[in-house]
Amino acid sequence: MTAGAAPTGASAAGVLTVVEAGSTQITDLGRTRGPRYGVPVNGALDQRSARVANILVGNPDGAPLLELTALDLEFVADVDTLIAVAGADGHLTVDGVGRPSNEPVSVRAGETVALRQLQGGLRAYLAVRGSFEVPLLLGSCAPDSVLGFGGRLVAGSEIALRSATAPIFNDHFAAELYSLDVPRVAHGFIVDVTDGPDIEDFADTAARLFEQPYLVTPTSNHIGLRMTGPLPERRTTGEVLSRGVPVGAVEVPPGDELLVLHRGRGVTAGYPVLAVVTSGSLDVLAQVRPGQRLRFRPVSAVEAAARARAELVELDTLRHRVRSVFAALDALSTPPTGRTLP
Amino acid sequence: MAPASVVISPSGTAAVRVASALSDREAGWRLVHHLARFVDEARVPGVVCAIPTYDAVLIEVDPAEVSLARLGDYLAQVVEGLDHDRPLTATPRTFDVPVLYDVDGELDLPTVAEAQGLSVQEIVRLHSEPTYVVRCLGAPGGSPMLDGPPFPHPVPRLASPRAHVPQGVVSVAGRQATITPAAAPGGWPLIGRTPLVVLDLAAEPFVPYEPGDLVRFRSIDRDEYESLLSTRMVAR
Repeated sequence: MTAGAAPTGASAAGVLTVVEAGSTQITDLGRTRGPRYGVPVNGALDQRSARVANILVGNPDGAPLLELTALDLEFVADVDTLIAVAGADGHLTVDGVGRPSNEPVSVRAGETVALRQLQGGLRAYLAVRGSFEVPLLLGSCAPDSVLGFGGRLVAGSEIALRSATAPIFNDHFAAELYSLDVPRVAHGFIVDVTDGPDIEDFADTAARLFEQPYLVTPTSNHIGLRMTGPLPERRTTGEVLSRGVPVGAVEVPPGDELLVLHRGRGVTAGYPVLAVVTSGSLDVLAQVRPGQRLRFRPVSAVEAAARARAELVELDTLRHRVRSVFAALDALSTPPTGRTLP
Repeated sequence: MAPASVVISPSGTAAVRVASALSDREAGWRLVHHLARFVDEARVPGVVCAIPTYDAVLIEVDPAEVSLARLGDYLAQVVEGLDHDRPLTATPRTFDVPVLYDVDGELDLPTVAEAQGLSVQEIVRLHSEPTYVVRCLGAPGGSPMLDGPPFPHPVPRLASPRAHVPQGVVSVAGRQATITPAAAPGGWPLIGRTPLVVLDLAAEPFVPYEPGDLVRFRSIDRDEYESLLSTRMVAR
């Protein structure tokens, strides 16, 4: 199976053709029906940034979008589109002209879109208004390397676009149309964790998790991040039966590295769960590059839940603001100039 | 308050683990699977999915919709009403799985035999004798997780996991056994290979068995292995 669906004839409004693929894949918020069948959830590693990109173009949060990891992307669409980039900072250009991230950006048919020089993070998300027509497995387009579903785009990959969006430009002042004030995430790699269900297995060594920074090693990927640093030790013995493990589980497998599971994690495993990374900090982990250091910080379940709610409120606020802007533009538009958003 | 039959613990901000506290392992296994089915079928608001295993079920939630504490209280109530004596499946299906055992020592069978103090033939006999119950679907790709064969000792995991384990391998670890439907990294010792194709991405679920179904292993030779390659795994 291929990641980019071939254009599906009449149902596709247009086609996005990849010129330079870098390390990009089409994904969404994940295969939530997967884990009950032993299949990982997968999906965008930085869920918040993926949501932001989709919200900025008026898509549902879970619409398929592009996830770039570290490397540059360049593409051309044969219809007018509205795009938005979120996540790691990068240099977005449309036909060579710099355009802002974290805002909707109109692109005319045939213009070259490039996103280069990702920095300050590892992953960026690019959403297109109307999203893509792509194959789904259990309701999700997220690639699964184990099942052999989906995969990375290559130069020449063609992705069917579900809709075109007539360009919206400020004719009078050439100024930016939007000031959406996307909430920024604090810099620095602090990873909040709550106590895991098996923390007692580690007795007094559990606190080592918070003593020093950990160095992320190159074997890290979407399945899990491996890191070196002070290792807590399991003080109990005996066979552990395989159990369901949550995304974000902090484990100490044999060897000399700490393992933090991310969204590609195997659904069951036989290691005790020392701690679990909060949902917001999973987004932080998605942006850490091998060779960088991070620190774990203990939070209470109550505190973690409060922060998660605050993040949801921020996204809700953004969603409402974007809706108001689009509604206003709609009201201003006159059909002959083609400013209407579908 | 949790009833005495389970221990409910938060597993991060978006999941709770409900582990059986029953001394009867079979009853505990049925209990966690009945609970998983209940939350699936009842479409409990905020519950994203349930992952039942041997003695525990991990229930993943959307923390925006439900608080873990309230969910825990609710699950405790649900558990009170579940009959853990009721069989999981009224009529379990049986899957016959032909295995080319690793008698030539290309995989880990000789190492496993040596650690058990048994001959390769005894390992093959002990592994292919029982009728196994599919305890749960596990990683990778919905592996049928089984109880281990009646070996004298738990089977140690490999000191360094393999980066690539091909699909169709038959493996053992600790007091567990399984078949691997999809290629993935893995740390379980491999004792044979089945020619059957387990995974079907066009089906839902992708694997033909469900918890409560039965699996029997049968030793085959290389010729039969070759002739059965690409055959789909189906119930008897």
